[in-house]
Amino acid sequence: MEYLKQKRILIVDDELALLEMVTSFLTDNGFQYIQTAQTMKEAIRVADDFKPEFAILDVMLPDGSGFDLLEQLREKADYPVLFLTARGEDEDKLTGFDMGADDYLVKPFLPKELIFRITAILKRSYKGENPQVPLRHCKIDFERAVIVKKGEDLPLTAKEFALLSALYRQAGRIVTIDALCEAAWGENPFGYENSLMAHIRRIREKIEANPSQPVSLLTVKGLGYKLIVEEA
Amino acid sequence: MKSGLKNISKWSLRFLGLLMLSIVLLVVLNSAFLSIYVNNQSPNGSPWKSAQGAAEAIKQENGEYILQEEIVQELIKEQAWAIFIDDRTKEVVWHSDNLPDDIPKDYTLSDIASLTRGYVNDYPTFTGEAEEGLMVVGYPKESFWKHISPSWDYQFIENLPQNTLILIVSNLVVIFLIYMAANYKLLKSVGPIVEGIQYLPKNENVNVKEKGPLSELAVNINQTSEILQSQQRMLQKKEEARSNWIAGVSHDIRTPLSMVMGYIGQLEEEENLDQESRQKMTVIRKQSEKIKQLIDDLNLASKLEYNMQPLHLKDENIIAVVREVAVEFINIDLAGKYPIEWIVDEQVSACILPIDKSLWKRAIGNLIQNSINHNENGCKIYISIIIQQEACTVSVADNGVGMTAEQMDVLNNTPHYMLDNDHKGEIRHGLGLLIVKQIAASHGGDIVIEASEYGGLAVRIVLPFSATPSNDVPI
Repeated sequence: MEYLKQKRILIVDDELALLEMVTSFLTDNGFQYIQTAQTMKEAIRVADDFKPEFAILDVMLPDGSGFDLLEQLREKADYPVLFLTARGEDEDKLTGFDMGADDYLVKPFLPKELIFRITAILKRSYKGENPQVPLRHCKIDFERAVIVKKGEDLPLTAKEFALLSALYRQAGRIVTIDALCEAAWGENPFGYENSLMAHIRRIREKIEANPSQPVSLLTVKGLGYKLIVEEA
Repeated sequence: MKSGLKNISKWSLRFLGLLMLSIVLLVVLNSAFLSIYVNNQSPNGSPWKSAQGAAEAIKQENGEYILQEEIVQELIKEQAWAIFIDDRTKEVVWHSDNLPDDIPKDYTLSDIASLTRGYVNDYPTFTGEAEEGLMVVGYPKESFWKHISPSWDYQFIENLPQNTLILIVSNLVVIFLIYMAANYKLLKSVGPIVEGIQYLPKNENVNVKEKGPLSELAVNINQTSEILQSQQRMLQKKEEARSNWIAGVSHDIRTPLSMVMGYIGQLEEEENLDQESRQKMTVIRKQSEKIKQLIDDLNLASKLEYNMQPLHLKDENIIAVVREVAVEFINIDLAGKYPIEWIVDEQVSACILPIDKSLWKRAIGNLIQNSINHNENGCKIYISIIIQQEACTVSVADNGVGMTAEQMDVLNNTPHYMLDNDHKGEIRHGLGLLIVKQIAASHGGDIVIEASEYGGLAVRIVLPFSATPSNDVPI
């Protein structure tokens, strides 16, 4: 995970106290390259020099909206963005996602939640740089779409790869049956539950030492599955 | 417009009925009046009868004609005179004493024909046949009017009954048409007015054309509608202002609260912290989270209450939506104090209904949060979804402390303080359940709060398949 902590992060919010607080969360969690801005203008100027690889934007800024800022930032470079806002309205959420935001966090929030979301986005966006994800009995190499088990490469099918990616993005958390079906079969996936079970069984055969007693890919009955990643 | 027309045709029918009734009444009254009048006019019968009576009452005695004294008196009373003309000589062989001078004493056949049909020197005359002559009774001038040539086509008389009927019916039709023509304008202007009045209570904008005989009424209705509308707008403006105010306040609280929660969360994670301080930190964090929840709830509850929360309906799998919320809670319950048990028939994988997903997630989330809030020491939460013929029921239950039957009754039957003008100081229950109720209602469903079979509290959201979600649902 260490490589993620090297990412350059830009934080934009009109509240100085909040900027300081978020900065301190990030530094506490090992992030080293952080720059802040309080207005849209300042943010664009800072971004030009700093070349951020990730941005946390407030929706309401004194000289414009965070959505407008995102549009302008994206003209120069494409990197993941998390919106931070005091407005919980659904319309805002939808606008944010339409604009290509990667996530959306409504104030107030706990530092744990913020760090989790940032890590998840960074992992998703920059996974190529850390091809080997360690599990108890093997490693997943997303770059090559293989499981490395006892020095042997076990190739993943497209569906297995899609399912493992979805599970890895939320590693340590339960991913619902529906979200997994969506990841593998697209939107409105009804009636794929049995197929999903079959694919999970095949993934277990590849990643577990004893597929009938899984330790890395756990079932949460009726709800979903959870991937346990070992700390490197 | 339909109901307006219905009323108009009802009025026309009513008028027709009234018309019939008046005609029948008039006919009866007129005939009665006529018969009484005719009877009163000549108590001794018609002049023809008098003449015939006189003819029968004249007798020849010793070569002279004598009229019975009784009849003579009657003639005098009527101021009538009489002559008796002999059949053979055509001469007057007897006459009453009061015979006027200008009455001739002998007649030709044509004279007799003429006096039978008409007059002698303008005296209306009537004849009666006797054995040997003709009795002629004359009445004062201008006392009778005689129809000199009374004769009708036979067919005319034969068809008289049906012709009369046709005449009466066509008269009625003509009268009704005249009425319709005269009242068409009135009825036409009544229609929109009736319609306008019917629309008034529906709180719709009413605009009746201010023309025709009832234009004044139309003006009044339009003014009333305008007043109602402006009151409605004022009310809505007020409600919007209230909702916006709540939204504004909750927005303004979020940023400072971020700071409180953020730093507390950070401090709580510090390793070199003594037990007591850590406990205090936890209390502050928990209370901050409650404030956060309250802000979220207050904002949504006020929006739902004032219909300012538009429903974004989409066909969704309710099971997937509920599962997503359940998993979110399990994922943040790191200590495992609130395990969630999923009780859904494995055979049922989908229940597709048009719902607002984010509102539904909120409702289910509120129910789970409710169980957590009321069970500080942890509890097991049971989520079940039952699909039946006519409804889908989502139930969130726990094995926690629950509540007394009395408290349950209050929850089920008393309005929330936010919706009630009385008992201002009394806070009966949190906003969480109110929101669930509002969301269920906006989707055409309802909630039931009851004792859980697991020992704690259970809340069921029942959504009928026939329900029509609406933005405008009174709660």
